[in-house]
Amino acid sequence: MTTAPGLTPEVQLGALLQTKLFAPRVTREAVDRPRLTAVLGDRLGSGSWPPVLLVSAPAGFGKSTLLAQALLGGSGPGRASVAWLSLDSGDSDPSTFWAYVLAALRTALPAVGGSAQVLLQSPGSAPITTVLTTLLNELASSDKEVVLVLDDYHVIGAPEVHAAMTFLIEHLPPQLHLVLATRSDPPLPLARLRARGQLAEVRAADLRFTEAETAAYFDAMGLRLSAGEVATLEGRTEGWAAALQLAALSLRGRDDTAGFIEGFAGDDRHVVDYLVEEVVHRQPEHVRDFLLRTSILARLSGSLTDAVAGRSDGRALLEALDRDNLFLVPLDDQRRWYRYHHLFADMLQARLLDERPDEVRDLHRRASAWHERDGDITAAIEHALAAGDGERAAGLVELTIRAMGKDRREAQLRRWMEALPDEVFTARPVLANGFVGALMSTGEVRGVEPRLQIAEHWLDAIRAAPAGTVPRGLVVADLADLERLPGWVRIHRAGLSLIGGDVAATMEHGRAAIDVLGRDDNLGYAAATALLGIASWRQGDLESAATAYAASMRRFEAEGWVADLLGCAITLADLQWTLGRLREAERTYRDALDLAGRQPGGPLRGSPDMHVGLAEIAIEKNDLATAREHLETGHELGDHLGMPRHPHRWRIAEAHLHEAEGDLSGALALLDEAERVYDGDFSPDVRPVAAMRARVWVKQGRSDQALAWAAQRGLALTDEPDYLHEYEHVTLARALLGAGDRSATQLLERLLTAAETGDRYGSALEILVLLALSRQGAGDIGAAVAALSRALELGAPEGYARTFTAEGPGMTRLLTAAAKRGVTSSYAAWLLSAVGAPPLQPGRQDSLVDPLSDREVEVLRLLASELSGPEIARHLVVSLNTVRTHTKNIYAKLGVGSRREAVRRADELGLLGPARG
Amino acid sequence: MTETHTYEIRIQGHLAQRWSAWFDGMEITAADDGSTVIRGQVVDQAALHGLIQKVRDLGLPLLSVTNTHTGATS
Repeated sequence: MTTAPGLTPEVQLGALLQTKLFAPRVTREAVDRPRLTAVLGDRLGSGSWPPVLLVSAPAGFGKSTLLAQALLGGSGPGRASVAWLSLDSGDSDPSTFWAYVLAALRTALPAVGGSAQVLLQSPGSAPITTVLTTLLNELASSDKEVVLVLDDYHVIGAPEVHAAMTFLIEHLPPQLHLVLATRSDPPLPLARLRARGQLAEVRAADLRFTEAETAAYFDAMGLRLSAGEVATLEGRTEGWAAALQLAALSLRGRDDTAGFIEGFAGDDRHVVDYLVEEVVHRQPEHVRDFLLRTSILARLSGSLTDAVAGRSDGRALLEALDRDNLFLVPLDDQRRWYRYHHLFADMLQARLLDERPDEVRDLHRRASAWHERDGDITAAIEHALAAGDGERAAGLVELTIRAMGKDRREAQLRRWMEALPDEVFTARPVLANGFVGALMSTGEVRGVEPRLQIAEHWLDAIRAAPAGTVPRGLVVADLADLERLPGWVRIHRAGLSLIGGDVAATMEHGRAAIDVLGRDDNLGYAAATALLGIASWRQGDLESAATAYAASMRRFEAEGWVADLLGCAITLADLQWTLGRLREAERTYRDALDLAGRQPGGPLRGSPDMHVGLAEIAIEKNDLATAREHLETGHELGDHLGMPRHPHRWRIAEAHLHEAEGDLSGALALLDEAERVYDGDFSPDVRPVAAMRARVWVKQGRSDQALAWAAQRGLALTDEPDYLHEYEHVTLARALLGAGDRSATQLLERLLTAAETGDRYGSALEILVLLALSRQGAGDIGAAVAALSRALELGAPEGYARTFTAEGPGMTRLLTAAAKRGVTSSYAAWLLSAVGAPPLQPGRQDSLVDPLSDREVEVLRLLASELSGPEIARHLVVSLNTVRTHTKNIYAKLGVGSRREAVRRADELGLLGPARG
Repeated sequence: MTETHTYEIRIQGHLAQRWSAWFDGMEITAADDGSTVIRGQVVDQAALHGLIQKVRDLGLPLLSVTNTHTGATS
């Protein structure tokens, strides 16, 4: 959240390559393999196609061909349509991987995946599970089935992708069938799937050509071989499809069939290597040259091969190779793009490296330049890196920094940065700072400091240089990036200081960032103010922290980063509550929830967290039914839609609800669970679970145990009160009170002063309630009621309830006393009704759902007088309109329609109190 | 100072000398029993796994992986 270096992107990252979604065509020469295709085809047709099919075998074993035959050939996939995705190593980046998966699915089912796609492309941090849940819901309501083929799954190395795939597999709807073709078994829960009968497998042994299939293959290739010759070839190749295909190519047009087979069989060299040598050797010189030079390319077009091989007949050559079956795979129907069969390409590249090592770099450099012109920056960077051209790669990577940040592809950006040679950073402050952002947003602190120093060094040099000039030796790809640099360097400094625990430095750098950030740099402001918010919070300056968080949220909203906004909302509401503004906290949660609900693709990540917050507030307001509803909704939305802390916060709220319902041992069990799933971050843990547990012990009459916890925690009566330990100190006071220890009073008085000094009226409210109980225990009822009166004044406008009503019979007596003295009497009466205390006076005050505010009671008393409306207004020194508003509210709360009825009803409820009595 | 390890990867079948460049200059020796040994230093485990992946991508049966020497170089 704090380090995303994304503004409006200027560099467009490469669009999705349609060639990767192109399902391979079944060639004429492909041998029908009914023993395999029939099994797959039948299962598909009969609806018993397994949820997951794993085709796992080495390179060149005919995995893709078999799948193309089974899925796209004659019998076809029955009622299911087929989505094909050929993966490459760039797809290890999770955002890229899922963008391609969605695009592939949409080729088969255009109606599906739209919302998921919007979510995936929406700025900010929409986690992949949210995207997948949306996708799965869309698939589950589709009346069509789809088979998703992920070819070459072995290139995926990112654990995040495997984790998300596991999630997908575990929630697979019957409409989606997954096919993974791979050279090695993927790290997915295969054993579990096997045990459940949800996995079908085709492995190397199944894919090996039998003697009959070998014979049929050579027959189809127009080669007349004896049974003995077929057996020899089958034996030597062990049924390896690629080897058989190469053997057929070698035999074609050769007179001495027997001699070739004999030589081949008598050689113990790597079978494919041997055959490639045979095939390549038989090509004319210019074709050999073309094959070697273009072997470095992941995909081939006429224009690209011309640029790389230094020719002008690339297209014609590709078409000729395709006609001759030279391991060229078409990637579209227009014969524009091809690729070599992977195994063949590897064999060619090994030759290139061996025979022309000096050429390789130059070939990659040319490929990089072509891709840059073509607009595929990713491929341009990969080739520049392969060329060992650090300068070129550095310049390209530098240009993608902001676009990659906006796409949340910091992991890929970091891999590129790490592949760059160290020295290219020295002259490039924008690149160095971008590396810092990529590291910090992927949770890495190592390596940050030296790069940050490079950026700072150049910022000093820029300041020292004459205005409008760039210091000598500085390299930058886009001058506009230099203007943004000072702000982001400060933001990264602030983040680094925070991680290092230096709050003062965080404040200093955060403020400096805001001074120099561009006016329209929303993400910069959002990051800087959020850092300032955390720093203020840790310093106990909650008012400033709340202001900072609110500012951060506005900037995130302006940028459309709703998930990040929701993360801030949790903190803001928490701060508002501690500041004693329960209503504001509730509004913060509600507004955030509304905003999340309005996002395309349904409820957004963070929605469950908002429900948990609203549940906690409902508990405080003693509305346990509403609290229960919110917790259930939060649970139904699921942990995967929650922020990292959701599982923890949900259990805490559930524990509070159990406690409110009187189930104290249930509450303790939930607190234990909450502690196990605690996921800490930069925000201070101001309400540790251990302290919550101690509070429940006090309620259970186990104050000794709570005191033992406090002693072990090192909490003492004489501690200097500070915000970070406030909750624990109040817990200690509760334990002392529970144990009948009078020293609680003194501690509470000091805590009260500290809370009021820090404007923490929410804390002050609780402390005052405890102080009242403590003074009552000492027999000083007057002082007790005085403390309670102050608490009631703080609580009345905000609707606090359980802070009072959860305190047992002592508090009931005090509330009765306070109500009798006329202090915020309607509020006190409402609280008493909540604990089921006998009414103060005969009447039905318990029927008043929404208590009158003090001002409303004042107006009500004047309504009971002979004064007219305008006279009341003059008396209160307010406008007539204000009086009318109050009157309307009073009527609504009392459920009446006239002044006379209101006065009668108020009298019944005892609301007119001492003034009339 | 980094620790380097010398590894021997034995595969089934004979691989020509020219594959040395493909395997980042490692030594390639064909043995009499029809297997081939790819031998050389790797800087860390990630590099070793990269090497094994290259073997996998050639479709060659892997027979053994042995750490023959661990040394420190500065």
